[in-house]
Amino acid sequence: MLKAFIARIKEGCRTGAFPPAEPNLPPDFRGRPEIDEATSAEEVEEMKSVCPVDGALGFSEGKAFIDMGRCIFCGRCAAKCTKVRFTREYRLGVFKRDDLVVRAGEGGYVPPVQTDAEALRLKGSLQLREVSAGGCAACELDANVLGTPAWDMARFGIRFAASPRHADTVYLTGPVSRNMRSALDKTYAAMPEPKFLIAAGACAISGGLYERGEYPAEPALYIPGCPPHPATTLEALLRFVGDM
Amino acid sequence: MTELFSFKTIEEAEAKLDSLGGYKDPAEVVPLKGAGAHEVAVGPVHAGVIEPGHFRFQCMGEDVYNLQIFLGYQHRGVEEAMVNAGGNIARQTALAETCAGDTSAAAAIAFAELMERAFPLRFQAPDNEALRLRNILLELERIANHTGDLGALAGDVAFLQTASFCGRIRGEYLNMTALLCGNRFGRNAIVPGGVRTGDAADKYGEIKTWIARVKPELDRALKLMFHEHSVCDRFDGTGRVPRDVAESIGLVGVARRASVEFNGDVMARALVRRIEINEAHTKIAKLIGGEAPASETPRFDGLKPDGFTVVVSTSAAWRGPLVHAALFSPDAKMVRYKIVDPSAHNWPGLAWALRGEQISNFPICNKSFNLSYCGTDR
Ligand code: SF4
Ligand code: SF4
Repeated sequence: MLKAFIARIKEGCRTGAFPPAEPNLPPDFRGRPEIDEATSAEEVEEMKSVCPVDGALGFSEGKAFIDMGRCIFCGRCAAKCTKVRFTREYRLGVFKRDDLVVRAGEGGYVPPVQTDAEALRLKGSLQLREVSAGGCAACELDANVLGTPAWDMARFGIRFAASPRHADTVYLTGPVSRNMRSALDKTYAAMPEPKFLIAAGACAISGGLYERGEYPAEPALYIPGCPPHPATTLEALLRFVGDM
Repeated sequence: MTELFSFKTIEEAEAKLDSLGGYKDPAEVVPLKGAGAHEVAVGPVHAGVIEPGHFRFQCMGEDVYNLQIFLGYQHRGVEEAMVNAGGNIARQTALAETCAGDTSAAAAIAFAELMERAFPLRFQAPDNEALRLRNILLELERIANHTGDLGALAGDVAFLQTASFCGRIRGEYLNMTALLCGNRFGRNAIVPGGVRTGDAADKYGEIKTWIARVKPELDRALKLMFHEHSVCDRFDGTGRVPRDVAESIGLVGVARRASVEFNGDVMARALVRRIEINEAHTKIAKLIGGEAPASETPRFDGLKPDGFTVVVSTSAAWRGPLVHAALFSPDAKMVRYKIVDPSAHNWPGLAWALRGEQISNFPICNKSFNLSYCGTDR
């Protein structure tokens, strides 16, 4: 036992400085995309030919767009055409589905600020009930790491709850497979009011590579990615409750 | 490793795919009757942040007499989507990678080798540098998963030091993977014909230094756990699957090795993971040191135009052999795809391990296998 204590003391505190410091992102991290104003419909078609996801890239009202709710951030479009670049902007969580669509020529991105009074009340105590519904489990794995000492989201009062009775939000991952529909509905129904749904990952937001099943309620927070980087998730959760 | 089979009729080809196996739910709940008999039903939504599945513990008094495992909650039609994606290689690669997220690199390798074998003219043979990166990503995936699971095992017996050390160290290996390809799960790098990342070789020096720092920390964290009597007492003899049972129910990978080389209990599966962590480090050191990885994919015996072809591709995923198989029609169209995750063979092993145990031993038995629901359900 003594050895265990010594090892514990030697390990010291390993919790990252993020936040408030900037997170350590890999050099090839792909965050929010940037599209040149002058991207043509032909160029979009060319990029679409290498894009794994239907509807992730498109052209409407004379402008190219990338839907971060569908995109898996594989970078194939940017490798094909220099008019698309992936920035290191990791603050990708938004409160409205439409805000996930990045249009050509858009600059000066500022992450949306929470104004919902019910959500702001959860600052300092946000209990999540994770429901995994047909995804690949990488979204769950990278949500789980937020509980490890490296991220320690509990220091902000954010925890995964074992029961929906103790939770404020369902943290949904996966495209809502047919066989998980009723379990998801029941889990959501079992939470006391006020309650929210968070859609994390391309699968939960749009189905991603699959078709999405129905939600029990409209999500109040969308966290894009495949899977979202833990820094993206933690920042989004904090901003959701006005703690960022 | 790939194998190619030619058939005259589609029925024969289908039979080949069917013979690769997969998990079948028990046909129905068989009730347990008698004095002291009771059932505990768990899931599909579990208490932790994990995937859905339904477990029925059929108990006699305190002891589990039988465990029935019902899956399928994660089914989203990966195989059908593979076929429907037709010639969209990027989409098929992404589908393979997201069949089981913790096995992305192994799946991308299985798919890439399958396509390279089937279409040798369309896809060039991956060069040494590509094979090197593929294998390094595969081994990093193995280390990250084994480390995470050993930490989770420690957590389940309340040995929190190793639980939190391993939780952090697993993250270090995921970040090494992200350094090489931009994604913590090794995605978007491995494609038929090679790899997409051009400059991974420049980063091997950094990986080497990184491993030199982290591996001793990992060794210390594991030594601490394996030398702790209270931990050994919980692992030893728990959830034992004897060798003859393991062989007759067809266990694969870590679980089989634990029953064949050791005595098949939780401790054995934990030890095998520790051994495989060390083996993976040796492999990475050799690969980074310049050893050329062997390419096993034979060239130029692709699809035959006068019959149906089945290509079976197996990669050494961390849980055990991962099988991807495709059936091609005479006009070279993919008409059926099949994925057999190693988990599909090992669920009956978990059920067996629980026999005669108390329900409270389920978490450590479960973690010692850590099977993939989504990989099984597809
Ligand atoms: S990064 Fe997104 S938009 Fe670009 S090719 Fe990949 S999935 Fe498509
Ligand atoms: S969004 Fe991507 S990482 Fe998340 S569950 Fe879906 S496929 Fe897996």
